[in-house]
Amino acid sequence: MTQGAAMATGQTPKAKIEVKNLNFYYGESKALKGNSLELLEHQVTAFIGPSGCGKSTLLRVLNRMYDLYPGQRAEGEVLLDGKNILDPAVDLNLLRSRVGMVFQKPTPFPMTIYDNIAFGIRLYENLPKSEMDGRVETALKGAALWNEVKDKLNASGQSLSGGQQQRLCIARTVAIKPDVILFDEPCSALDPISTSKIEELIDELRANYTIAIVTHNMQQAARVSQKTAFMYLGELVEFGDTDEIFTAPREKRTQDYITGRFG
Amino acid sequence: MTDHTVKAYDVELQDLARRISEMGGIAESMLASSVKALVRGDNMLADDVIRTDSQLDVMEREVNEKAILMIARRQPMAVDLRVIASTIKMAADIERIGDLAKNIGKRVKAIGMPFHQQSLVNGVTHLGNMAQERLRMVLDAYASRNLDAALEVWRHDDDIDALHNSLFRELLTYMMEDPRNITFCTHLLFCAKNIERMGDHCTNIAETMHYMVTGSALTDVRPRAGAVPEADAVSGSEHD
Repeated sequence: MTQGAAMATGQTPKAKIEVKNLNFYYGESKALKGNSLELLEHQVTAFIGPSGCGKSTLLRVLNRMYDLYPGQRAEGEVLLDGKNILDPAVDLNLLRSRVGMVFQKPTPFPMTIYDNIAFGIRLYENLPKSEMDGRVETALKGAALWNEVKDKLNASGQSLSGGQQQRLCIARTVAIKPDVILFDEPCSALDPISTSKIEELIDELRANYTIAIVTHNMQQAARVSQKTAFMYLGELVEFGDTDEIFTAPREKRTQDYITGRFG
Repeated sequence: MTDHTVKAYDVELQDLARRISEMGGIAESMLASSVKALVRGDNMLADDVIRTDSQLDVMEREVNEKAILMIARRQPMAVDLRVIASTIKMAADIERIGDLAKNIGKRVKAIGMPFHQQSLVNGVTHLGNMAQERLRMVLDAYASRNLDAALEVWRHDDDIDALHNSLFRELLTYMMEDPRNITFCTHLLFCAKNIERMGDHCTNIAETMHYMVTGSALTDVRPRAGAVPEADAVSGSEHD
């Protein structure tokens, strides 16, 4: 799959995001300890590890979500296309339009399906109605939701099923044309069929985006990702090809975790 | 290795290992009996070998069923996945060894009579002992998860092949010496071939064990003797 992605782009995948020696603090407590890794373009990178290992924290650094909370700070460098996004001068709105995020629980806005998508676009662009219609349709198609909702675009986003709501959130993210999409346990509240649809979608999305996903479901990490990072207690224990991590990991701690032998 | 959080998982893995050892033990005694039956022209013993083979077939099926069930139930990862996949392969190799021993048993019955010259079978006896030793070693290596011991079996794969080749020439000589030997020596040639194949399956088991323990295929690291042409290297590796 890794090679497939490389061939799809016609070259070896380049690093979209480079994390360099990243430390993160919740007040006094250190949640990330000198993590360094690269997220490659057009690849899905999965983060696994027990609760509290720092995987969600790392994800939240990638679009500076943590900035919304006082007392949380990051040290080190996170380069997005070579520019350090931890720089205080970075325009956060712009950053978050480039690095979209999908959360564990579907969070549709209390508005129509159409407006759920259009709302985000309007924040960044002023489009005539016809063009906006096109963008909404493209986004919903991109999230594999169009066929299910095209006849009820004016229905409330909250009237959809859980899986549909999650795809609506993905459509909302895709609509503003980000470069990177972060998924924080996107399927943990979904049934297996909706989960399969999201996984299928993630695989399709990687043709156009760089993707990072945090998941507690190891089989899911094995299925959807090309690279996997195993984290433990804020440390990046092992990072490598997914195929290798799940068949022959190098580190004993990785092996113990993925085989269910963890203390 | 640390235990699984789910204890039944460990019990199931141990059960798979036990089944492989049990199958191995049966194959080992089938191999020994088949050669003994050949040397003594013992039809009863040959029948015994033939009968035992179906037992081994059943056991292989059971191992496969257990392994498939574990994959479905536990979704094994990393070393567990390798162990389970390897168990399936090893069971197949051991089952094949049983088949080959059965073939010798059938051939003993086809020969149908005790034979004349003990010297004719000496070579086959020797080859049989060697294969038996090889099988015993690789099964011990498996039981104790001793990778070095398995590699030892793998490295000496050539010995059986070499002995088989010289035995081939030896039997040809007997046939040329006295055409009345031809029928019997032809049977012996096939038996020798069966034994040589058993050795290959032992090598397979050693290779599988290497993958099981390390996660990498042994063929990747096999030391190539200097300037062996690729074609020779390919035709030289007979085990599948």
